[in-house]
Amino acid sequence: MSESLLELRSITKTYPGVTALSDVSLSVARGEVVGLIGENGAGKSTLMKVLGGVVAPSSGRIVIDDVEHARLTVPDAMRAGIAFVHQELNLFENLDVAANVYIGREPLTGGPLRLVDTARMRALVAPLLARLGVDYRADTPVAALSIAQRQRVEIAKALSLDARVIIMDEPTSSLTITETNRLLEVIADLRAHGVAIIYISHRLDEIKICADRVVCLRDGRMVGALAREEIDHARMIRMMIGRDLKSLYLPPQRPAEPGGCDVEALRTIAFPDRQVALSVRRGEILGLAGLVGSGRSTLARTLFGIDPPLGGSITLGGEPIEVRSPRDAIARGIYLIPEDRKRSGLVLEMSITFNVTLPDLWRYARLGLVDAGAEQKTAEIQSRRLAVKTPNVQTPAISLSGGNQQKVVLAKWLAMRPRLIILDEPTRGIDVGAKGEIYALMRELADQGVAILMISSDMEEVIGVSDRIAVMHEGAISGFLERADFSEHNVLQLAIGQKLHAAAEA
Amino acid sequence: MKRFLVPVLAGALASVLLAGPVLAQQKKTLAFVTNAAADFWTIARRGTEKAAKELPDFEVKFLVPSESTPADQKRILDDLLAGGLAGVAISPVNPANSTEILNKVASQAVLFTTDSDAPQSNRVMYVGTDNVAAGVQAGELIKKALPNGGKIMLFVGTMDNANARERVEGIKKAIAGSKVEVIDVRTDNIDFVRAKSNVEDTLTKYPDIAGLVGLYSYNTPQIYEAVKAAGKAGKVKIIGFDEDQATLRGISDGTIEGTVVQQPFEFGYQSIRLMAKYIAGDKSFIPANKLMIVPTKIIDKSNVAEFQTMMKEMLRK
Amino acid sequence: MGKKELGLVLLILVIGAVTATINPRFISAVNLVNMANLIGLYGLFSIGEGLVIITGGIELSIGSMFALLGVVFLDLLVERGIPWPVALGAILLGGVALGAIHGFLITRMKLQPFVVTLCGLLIYRGAARYYTNDATMGFGYGNEGSGTLAWLTAGRSFGVPHTFIALLIVAAIMAVVLHKSVYGRYLYAVGKNEEAARFSGINADRVIAAAYMISGLLAGLSAVFIVFYTNSVSPSSHGNFYELYAIAAAVLGGCSLRGGEGSILGIVHGTILLQVQQNLVNLLGIPSSLNFAVMGTVILAGVLADRELQKRRMAAVANMGAKAARPAAAVAA
Repeated sequence: MSESLLELRSITKTYPGVTALSDVSLSVARGEVVGLIGENGAGKSTLMKVLGGVVAPSSGRIVIDDVEHARLTVPDAMRAGIAFVHQELNLFENLDVAANVYIGREPLTGGPLRLVDTARMRALVAPLLARLGVDYRADTPVAALSIAQRQRVEIAKALSLDARVIIMDEPTSSLTITETNRLLEVIADLRAHGVAIIYISHRLDEIKICADRVVCLRDGRMVGALAREEIDHARMIRMMIGRDLKSLYLPPQRPAEPGGCDVEALRTIAFPDRQVALSVRRGEILGLAGLVGSGRSTLARTLFGIDPPLGGSITLGGEPIEVRSPRDAIARGIYLIPEDRKRSGLVLEMSITFNVTLPDLWRYARLGLVDAGAEQKTAEIQSRRLAVKTPNVQTPAISLSGGNQQKVVLAKWLAMRPRLIILDEPTRGIDVGAKGEIYALMRELADQGVAILMISSDMEEVIGVSDRIAVMHEGAISGFLERADFSEHNVLQLAIGQKLHAAAEA
Repeated sequence: MKRFLVPVLAGALASVLLAGPVLAQQKKTLAFVTNAAADFWTIARRGTEKAAKELPDFEVKFLVPSESTPADQKRILDDLLAGGLAGVAISPVNPANSTEILNKVASQAVLFTTDSDAPQSNRVMYVGTDNVAAGVQAGELIKKALPNGGKIMLFVGTMDNANARERVEGIKKAIAGSKVEVIDVRTDNIDFVRAKSNVEDTLTKYPDIAGLVGLYSYNTPQIYEAVKAAGKAGKVKIIGFDEDQATLRGISDGTIEGTVVQQPFEFGYQSIRLMAKYIAGDKSFIPANKLMIVPTKIIDKSNVAEFQTMMKEMLRK
Repeated sequence: MGKKELGLVLLILVIGAVTATINPRFISAVNLVNMANLIGLYGLFSIGEGLVIITGGIELSIGSMFALLGVVFLDLLVERGIPWPVALGAILLGGVALGAIHGFLITRMKLQPFVVTLCGLLIYRGAARYYTNDATMGFGYGNEGSGTLAWLTAGRSFGVPHTFIALLIVAAIMAVVLHKSVYGRYLYAVGKNEEAARFSGINADRVIAAAYMISGLLAGLSAVFIVFYTNSVSPSSHGNFYELYAIAAAVLGGCSLRGGEGSILGIVHGTILLQVQQNLVNLLGIPSSLNFAVMGTVILAGVLADRELQKRRMAAVANMGAKAARPAAAVAA
């Protein structure tokens, strides 16, 4: 391997009372893909902030091109060719692709007028887009792009900066399988061109495919590294959590019963001319797979009364119901754990208690006044039941980790009487330990007779957790799979709209 | 494009509707433009109405700006000119800086100033009060009320308007050489709550204050209320301007020494009548100094009952 | 909550102490009573404005409502001789009705609060001026606000102005509503994150509309108090800028214009600070022309002080979060 491009030597970062990073050393060579793994809170973000020049380390050295730095500034990092592709994309929707790539350093024309030379800017961006093999143009507005397409705008931006090291933080958390594969191809191409990549992900499959080397952080320390030939799931998981993860599937305690939720000929606003028919039985976890944009989230929103149904019927416990608003849904025991928990699931600035009791506040009220003791008691019970890691229930939700935030969203509904719980991407961006706890909880609920509909783009999750899988394609259910037929291949076939037996014949 | 079309069409429609009757009747328009909205101008309006009855060939308009600003007055004048105008009498908010628009009006129509003069403009003449003289009259009242002198405070809405400054000038002229001393002028931006709290705070800050003077019509009633609430009625002398109902009541009960009143009815009546005369070709009535001063009157306990009766009749119509 | 208002209380005390040192009459009984009266007057409607701001909205028409409701009230009471309880009821209902219109336009027609209430500001001002033909309305040549209502609104009990007592009562009620009731919790939730509130089954439209109605009710109540303070209403200038004083008080009191933040105690403190400032301009003999400049400076100082405290609080929360995360990792390992 060629000499290192970038080297961290014994980086330590302490905050008052907390050591975020402790004696971390890492070197990255030209054209190398380093997989960085670790649970949430292990120190990955802090490490990346040190590289980006946002955070100054308490001690240690950063070596770039044989020059030692005690800390980097943001311009230092940019000059050194360190670029980021963030988990949450930082693009301006109201501008076009080229403007986003060159934001803040637009080529100018008109001398003292300092006008943006749009034509030149687009001409500069076009070859970068060609290199990434995208299907949009430099003048396409970003608002019209999907998440995967936007991500490639970020990569184009990194390339335009002559990036030598691109740090990708959970780049595939919002991507479909095909989009993920496409990204992995782009990464391979970048590597071939000598660009180094630090790839942070919870998706171990992807790491296994693309990484030349894996390093693992735990509690702010570098706890291990794996060479290319050593990379496998079990080893990586052991490094991350220090123990083996049990198989994801928890078998039901008792068989599923009819009388859950039956959906007949339901038409949604996403696909007005397609009909959805599916039933979630009491006591089962029905996985709902499909490509992003196949209408899964809209189906969830329709069942929960956010989007209006255009036709068809919903039956709950054998009784036909109409759901006009989330209030209606909640009153009937249909609860949604939304995809975007920070925006729709939680009022982040409010305490755990306030979030937990929000949907059912009248139950804790007398004469319209909230009984603070009663609601705190409920919050404490739920918080203990779900093992939310927090000093107390007065803590604002914003200061919890992603997994614990998701547990609070769940606690909202568990304190009530669920009949159908819809989980939309329940473990996105959540660390492995918390994932397991959430799966166990879903099973517990199912065993209590709740019908569970789990929308997920994480193949490992869909196959590992569901009792049955329904696959959606362009607004309709393209097929159901029983456990015996579970396979990545089968799910994918249905997701792209092909019949299973046809695929088998071919 | 559609977005811009709608307001343009609406504007066009509105101007057709507004212009319609004027064109239809072919009457000459005379206008009276005030500097603000006040009872004072309601009385002036009665004067214009009386004049209008005597002048069947003229359409008489009475216009009140939404804000007491030169800009708003300019807008009104521009609109009037656009609609065809024979003559206008105006009380300019800021005469010194309105010469341009006033001269523009004077070049196209007969221009009178009223209430507040703009001598450097090409106005035909001024009908109104000599505010310096009115200030002097108030100053005389003050000297009479405070024979041994003392500190006094003046209250006004804003010092932007020339009439406020002229009244202050007159008062200072009258009390010059006496033992009466003006501490300050407090302004309230025509906010009544503020006007009253200014008085309350003055009574607190200067327990030995001898006299309070309200320069605008509403200032005197607010002084009256605050002084009564503080239990200082009779101990602090109050002198005012204009004829607010509460001011007159205060004079009746002896809390207020007196007030200097203008005769806005005459402003309205004479302005319209004389403009019509001027348009008819008669210019003989214009005095050499181009000032037609409508004298101010002092209302005190001796004549307040009579004045109240007259006012009631004037406002009832 | 207590810590958040602390900065404001300190600022009030510091400004008060400085003023009292320069002019001891600042803390004389007469002056305190006068200030209490004005604090009551301004506090009532500032609380309403604060509620609206907590929803993430804004109410710009309060001053114009005062003019319109004020002239209608005087017309009912003086010109038409309607018994005062009926006139009072009509004005309060009128305020609620105007608030309900705003709420409807904002939640159902999906118009922006700024636009809706800006139109209200213009419409009510115009309506008030048209209603009286621009004339100032007062209690006429007859006796002014004598009688029960005048006593209730402009009188004093045990030396305390009734406006101030009214503020204490309203503030106490609204504090319970905002900080203890289901509605108050919904208000904060909707203000902070309307979508999450809807996803929790809250009828956000109703919560928002109710805030505008409460603000209207308090504006109606204030309108009556103000009429009895000034004894006359000049429709062109009555209540001009009062919505801005209310917004200033609310913002000083810790309400964020982004919504979801603020407390009744804070708004009351904000009002106190503004009135202390107004008072000191007169008591220290600062020229009236500087009044607005002083006010702006005080608001800026207040907001900056709040910002500093806020930063420290956020740092404390972040610390707490970091500490919370630590044992979590330890448990997993």
